[in-house]
Amino acid sequence: MMQTQLQQGGSAPVISFDRVTLAFGDRTVINELSLDVAGGQIVCIIGPSGCGKTTALRMAGGLIRPNGGSVRLLGETLTAPRRDVAIVFQDYGKALLPWRTAAANVSLALEAAGVPRSERPARIRLLLAKVGLTGHEDKYPTEMSGGMQQRIQIARCLAQEPAVLLMDEPFGALDAMTRQGLQDEMLSIVAETGTTVFFVTHDLEEAVYLGDRVIGLLANPGRIGIDLSVDLPRPRNQLETREMPEFLRLRRQLFDFIEKAEG
Amino acid sequence: MNRSRFLWLIASFVTAAGLVWIWQVVADNRLVNPVFLPGPDRAWMALVRGFTTGDLDVKLLATVERMFWGWLVASLVGVALGAAIGTSPRLRAYLSPMLEFLRPLPASATIPVAIALLGLSDGMVLAVVAFGALWPVLLATVHGFSAVEPRLYEVGRALGLSRAAVIGKIALPSASPDILAGMRLGLTVALILSVVCEMIAGRDGLGTWILLAARSFRAPDLYAGVILLGLLGYATAVAIGLLEARLLVWRSRSR
Amino acid sequence: MNSSWWKGLVVPAALIATAEVAMRINGSTSMSLAAPSDIAAALAAALLDGSMLAATRDTLISAGAGLAIGGLLGLALGILFGLVRPVDHLMEVTVEVIRPVPSVAVLPIALLVFGFGYTMEIAIVAFSCLWPVMIYTRSAMAGIEPRLMEVARALRLSPWARISKIVFPAALPRILVAFRLAAAIALVVAVTVEIAINPLGLGYGILVAQQGLQPALMLAYLVWIGIVGWSLNTLLSLAQQRLLGRAARVEVAR
Repeated sequence: MMQTQLQQGGSAPVISFDRVTLAFGDRTVINELSLDVAGGQIVCIIGPSGCGKTTALRMAGGLIRPNGGSVRLLGETLTAPRRDVAIVFQDYGKALLPWRTAAANVSLALEAAGVPRSERPARIRLLLAKVGLTGHEDKYPTEMSGGMQQRIQIARCLAQEPAVLLMDEPFGALDAMTRQGLQDEMLSIVAETGTTVFFVTHDLEEAVYLGDRVIGLLANPGRIGIDLSVDLPRPRNQLETREMPEFLRLRRQLFDFIEKAEG
Repeated sequence: MNRSRFLWLIASFVTAAGLVWIWQVVADNRLVNPVFLPGPDRAWMALVRGFTTGDLDVKLLATVERMFWGWLVASLVGVALGAAIGTSPRLRAYLSPMLEFLRPLPASATIPVAIALLGLSDGMVLAVVAFGALWPVLLATVHGFSAVEPRLYEVGRALGLSRAAVIGKIALPSASPDILAGMRLGLTVALILSVVCEMIAGRDGLGTWILLAARSFRAPDLYAGVILLGLLGYATAVAIGLLEARLLVWRSRSR
Repeated sequence: MNSSWWKGLVVPAALIATAEVAMRINGSTSMSLAAPSDIAAALAAALLDGSMLAATRDTLISAGAGLAIGGLLGLALGILFGLVRPVDHLMEVTVEVIRPVPSVAVLPIALLVFGFGYTMEIAIVAFSCLWPVMIYTRSAMAGIEPRLMEVARALRLSPWARISKIVFPAALPRILVAFRLAAAIALVVAVTVEIAINPLGLGYGILVAQQGLQPALMLAYLVWIGIVGWSLNTLLSLAQQRLLGRAARVEVAR
């Protein structure tokens, strides 16, 4: 149980930033960022505001193209979003279609992938069950709490059957209890599917708790400042894991890093 | 509907009935010259007579048809054009100033021009009604399409939706409240313009009918026509309201 | 926006140039159309001989008087309905039935009662302006932050102080929006009444030009009516912004 279950990535990385540079006008947001994410890993990105962590995630999603260098996904250079890369946005309220019910929002991903109409209801039911929304299929997003809305978005992303899950501060707007619940649900779903996760957060504890690896970026321009591997046992536990000396040591290390980066 | 709301509605109907009764009393006692104000009883009789012995139904239908076809053309053209302009910042940069200039132009001012071009024909009426009703639909649609949440377009890209699917599944539903509001206004404009065109061009319909009634001092007929126009306005407002309620369920259902 | 304002002029300029060239090639003998240069000349002539300005004055007097009467009535009713909820509830059916009556439907009644002239036009404009002002004012009253009323109660303000210090300032932005909307409606209705029936003002002018087979003058009137409408709208927007500063812009942006 307490054994390290961390699967070290094989030879080919799933996401690979190769000397990526991005500038908006004359402001360089990211400078020569190189970073490989191994398959099946959860990599958390932290950093002071303006360090380009969300921008990096958007490049991994193919929403923005770098000015220099390349972002490769499973060996292929990204030029546009791919269906096997799912993005969970922080602002669930804006990322869901308010005129579609929870089930119909999940259905959107199946429609995009060309899943036959007859197969959709069963799959939607399964996906909503996976995120704990059974019985809420016919509710509109505005009728649900923030946590439930974010679950719809996660279900929609899972419907893409993604090889990579890009999460942009997905739990940042939720209250503490809801956040912890969703963290654990996400961990168990990821453990089941073996999806690679690229997780941006500003919450240092969340990064350590979830990640196999935590990368801290420095700002102006964005570049890697610290790269820690997290050797905490899985499955993780909100109480036990957070009390482990190793957890506290990593948290302290990241805290010092952020303090210096922002100072 | 809760109980007190229901009771208020009943009370409100009673109030309306009371007002009609006051109108009757005023007319019966000749407090106002009966040439100007016939009682509701005489107006109602004129309305019944118009439908049973006259051809008020034909006139009503003629007006409804003018309004409806003009509005339909305006809606189709307005939504299509509005979608094109609303989704393209470049088109917006070139066209918005002109649209803003034309927006306050009274549509009825185009009637003489339309008469000069098309004569006193039904085609002229259709052109005027369609042109007048086009503006509210067009401007509302432009606004609706340009106000789509940018995040939703990103969701569309991330999911790999086709361009047609992005328009049909994201942009159009998102703009639909604005489009419907524009179509509601367009319908009001279409009714007004249909009636005005009938009055000016003498095309057979409710507009001509009430104008002739006024000119020959047949006050009951006039009031019957006005009541009918009011009912028509009310019916169209209710119809659009039902359509909105059906299409926009998601807006009324929130926590 | 500032660097690309010229883009808005491209399309109208191209349309005007095309019309000019087309009319010149076909020879301007048409009884329904005129070249833009002829329209401009007719507009200048009509402005100089005073006929168009007189017509503009007539239309604006009718529209303004109607707006004042209908707007004030609407304001009074709106405040009454907004502050005294039982009255609002009782009048619901009546208001909902009368409101959608198209303004032109009352035109023959006004004609019957007042005959041709300013009065009937003013009456119709007033009827048309009453409803939007009433409904905006009512919802402005209902939309006042309840917390503000609690503050008023906590401060033990007198009823009059409550209205003058809390209710009116809080509702003012939306009431001004209502009047701006009503002003646009007033102009449209005035011109419409003139075209339909009433022999005065801009609407009558354009109709006479059409019937006199003077296409250049007719189109000059159309252009002028457009300019008047646009100026009125722009002026009122500016006035609203001056009066309310930032609050107005927020309200309009909604």
